[in-house]
Amino acid sequence: MYKETKFYKMGTVISNRVFGKHVDEVLLAAFQEVERLEGMLSRFISNSEISKMNHLSGIGYQQVSSETYELLSNGVNFSKLSNGCFDITIGPLVDFWRQSKSNRTQPNHYELKSILPLVNFIDIEFDECKKTVALKKAGQSIDIGGIGKGYAADKVIEVFKKYGMESGFTNFGGNVAVMGVKPDNSPWNIGIRHPRKENSIIGVVSVTDKSVVTSGDYQRYFIDNKGNRYHHILNPCTGYPSESGLISVTVLADSSMEADALSTIIFISGLSNVKKYLNVFPGIEVILIDKELNVYISSGIKDCFKTTKNIEVNIL
Amino acid sequence: MKSINEVKIKRKGKKKMVGWSIAIVFIAVLGIGGTIGWSKVSREHIEAKSLPLDGVDFNKLSDGTYIGEYEGGMYKWRTNKVQVTVASGKVTDIKLISSKELSENNTYHIDLYNRVLEEQTLKVDTISGATLTSKAYLQGIENALKQAQK
Repeated sequence: MYKETKFYKMGTVISNRVFGKHVDEVLLAAFQEVERLEGMLSRFISNSEISKMNHLSGIGYQQVSSETYELLSNGVNFSKLSNGCFDITIGPLVDFWRQSKSNRTQPNHYELKSILPLVNFIDIEFDECKKTVALKKAGQSIDIGGIGKGYAADKVIEVFKKYGMESGFTNFGGNVAVMGVKPDNSPWNIGIRHPRKENSIIGVVSVTDKSVVTSGDYQRYFIDNKGNRYHHILNPCTGYPSESGLISVTVLADSSMEADALSTIIFISGLSNVKKYLNVFPGIEVILIDKELNVYISSGIKDCFKTTKNIEVNIL
Repeated sequence: MKSINEVKIKRKGKKKMVGWSIAIVFIAVLGIGGTIGWSKVSREHIEAKSLPLDGVDFNKLSDGTYIGEYEGGMYKWRTNKVQVTVASGKVTDIKLISSKELSENNTYHIDLYNRVLEEQTLKVDTISGATLTSKAYLQGIENALKQAQK
């Protein structure tokens, strides 16, 4: 028996599907888990641990749960590894762009540059014994947007396992994690959205026990009053939406959090740096699409990735 | 006593009314007929759009050649017979054997058959993509409600 639920949380649509007994209980538990994580990690919920920490920026330390501590430490590790292409202190920059989006105005370059020094993961101070965390400068803020959905997807899969499910998936608005094989023992077929054709896919990857996360420039964006288009994946170094030549980056990994962070990092770093990440994380696979709609994949998935008609694949 | 002129005017008025009545009845008949006709056609469009291939699990096909028939459309004018070949568990060929509607020169069904051949390898369980925003969904609801408001 299988069942699927859909709900709105963490700013997106989340669907969970499980096969097994007691599907209603497990789906309810999965929903409650997402609600709990959102309450702990969202900076848009005023009493979340992250919000409290952001309010104390430049003032002092905030006590956090071991989960939040772990997530923040992981976030900083990804920042170090990517030389700042990924930064969880990106909050002030995200706020700046959100403001521009709601006003539909061209972002003020000088204002943007004045905000940029606030974005720096080096300013997060950790006290491991006390499990407290602080932001050094006033006005700094944590935004776990680049890692939080992956982290939560891993937690949902943990819930499925705790309830004895053998098969299922969770999809956080495009951020997918699958568990096991399908009940007929075949792998899960995950469509990869076409970055330029709406309601269309560019290919299908068949996987078991994997997370498949895509970063693309096509979903969250805005057009200002001068007609310039800005997508939502910000390069913390320049302050502007990333222009690396890649328009869609899919990462397959065992950990959804890892896939989430690495899809953003590779999107910003560009095609020329992808080999470095494939070496550092030998377990991952990638599907990259550039502006000219050329498709590149890592060699490990050449047998389980199929594209739609007339699309050629280059193997990295 | 009514003058002759008065009587004439009234008669003219009656004639006008009869003319209008005929016109209104004529328009109404056209309208009703059109609506019924359109509803039939649109029902057929809906039927065509919603014809599912979902009932087929492309992962579980036995090899062989199969003939399928479908009596579709108003007055069964879309009746067609098709031959499907499955080899190594995959649909390898689809041929139209007979059709009421299509002549040999008419080939638009070929595109459709190619789509089926393509789709069997592209049957997906879920889709990975840049994170959707729930705001887009809420915007849709808002736009719908705006139309509902006077």
